[in-house]
Amino acid sequence: MDVDVLLSELNPGGTYELRRDGYWAVWPDLDVRAMATLMRAREVRLSTMTGTPGADGRLRLVYHWDVGAKMLNMETSVTAGHIPTISDVLPAADWVEREIRDYYGIEFDGRAATPPLMLREGDIPGLFSRTRDLGTQIDPAETARTNVASEGGETR
Amino acid sequence: MSPVIPLGPFHPALEEPYKVEVTTTGETITDAEITVGFNFRGIEWLAERKTYTQDIALLERVCGICSNVHTLMFCRAVEKIADLEVPARAKFIRVIVAEAERLHSHLLWAGVACNLIGFETLFMTCFSLREQVMDVLEGISGNRVNYAMNRPGGVNRDITDPASILDAVRTIADVTAKQLIPVMTTDRTVRARCSGVGILTREDAIAYGAVGPMARASGLATDIRKSAPYLVYDQLTFDVPVRSEGDVFARIVVRALEILESCKIIEQAIDMMPAGPIAGGLFLAVPAGEAAIRIEAPRGEVVYYMESNGTDMPARVRVRTPTFANMPTVRVMAIGQGLSDLGLIQASIDPCYSCNDR
Repeated sequence: MDVDVLLSELNPGGTYELRRDGYWAVWPDLDVRAMATLMRAREVRLSTMTGTPGADGRLRLVYHWDVGAKMLNMETSVTAGHIPTISDVLPAADWVEREIRDYYGIEFDGRAATPPLMLREGDIPGLFSRTRDLGTQIDPAETARTNVASEGGETR
Repeated sequence: MSPVIPLGPFHPALEEPYKVEVTTTGETITDAEITVGFNFRGIEWLAERKTYTQDIALLERVCGICSNVHTLMFCRAVEKIADLEVPARAKFIRVIVAEAERLHSHLLWAGVACNLIGFETLFMTCFSLREQVMDVLEGISGNRVNYAMNRPGGVNRDITDPASILDAVRTIADVTAKQLIPVMTTDRTVRARCSGVGILTREDAIAYGAVGPMARASGLATDIRKSAPYLVYDQLTFDVPVRSEGDVFARIVVRALEILESCKIIEQAIDMMPAGPIAGGLFLAVPAGEAAIRIEAPRGEVVYYMESNGTDMPARVRVRTPTFANMPTVRVMAIGQGLSDLGLIQASIDPCYSCNDR
């Protein structure tokens, strides 16, 4: 897979670099749906997506693609907690988007529904971002259940 | 109105919890919804709160079968960020342990599959072979489950008795070639039960991001050991079995053939392993940086993303396991199949919910 051709088709003039761990294209204005449509047409597999907090407080979202010998990592930023879904284009993104919402509370716009994947129904999304500064003593399971309504008089 | 049948989260033949709600028309499945997360342990969350050294032990507990993969991935991510060199002998030892783990995983799965099909004698054959692999791993590491082999910059233990490994591997290859593969590929019961069942087309395999033997049984010649060689895989000769049928039978054949390939790899690695150190000096600190890496685990590609901010704890550790990529394909494989085939279809992806839920 010629990464140069692939990326120029998506964003002529867009820059990227080859690092030790693969290609990295950091595009804050990345059109994720156009990217997903192109990758599907070119039979490029979505390995996974990674959410990680950026220095500016916004979530960095990295789409990892299998383009052969090197991995192609396409990074963008999530603005105001929303980003378009690509799960309707690539079902491979479905579970990852649900998991990222569980951990960081961002919304993937365009989905019919985003049920929790790792958390339970009714748990508050954004487990990682809510607990980021709480140190090592916090219990993630208990934190996930905080403020969840009781069922039949018993805390869930 | 079509009935919805909830299966799980607890299953009589599987120790791990997950739930499938299948919609049926008569005996035919028309939809399936999968619920996971019952084993969620927040390992990525915990990894941000422990030191690099503590994280090695933590990540080894992602999975009880491919535990070595996760310490290998974590250490390789550290090595990428810190630019640590791994001695040649350590790379060969890492390959030998990784392939022994693949043998363990595939033989375990083959045994469970035989049990599910109702083939008790073959189940016993698979588990007796698996026991020999466990002995090999115990001989190398002193442990049967969590091997504690990897450290940033090398491995913790040398291989001191390569002859015993070769004996075990040759026995496994011989029994697999002469008994396991002929019976599993020609037995009428196995064929009748598995051929044409749970088909994952090549197109769906790409769209759903299937990995490992699942993808290779759907016609995709994908294997990170070949496409993006790491450690010393580029110095070793081995084939990547691929089938085009996309059904349960194709997955059985791919995994069975991969047992032979892993035996070939281990024999070559022992033969080629040079003398020398097995690790560099202790690393003092991980500089700020990030790395996204992948390897071919027994069940398929594993992806790790690690971010360091220069402290003694990583800022982010992302773990994507093969089951996480493969499990959503169960829905498309199940639709149109009989209800009684669902257990076999699920088992055919070699699921690990511990890995999936982390």
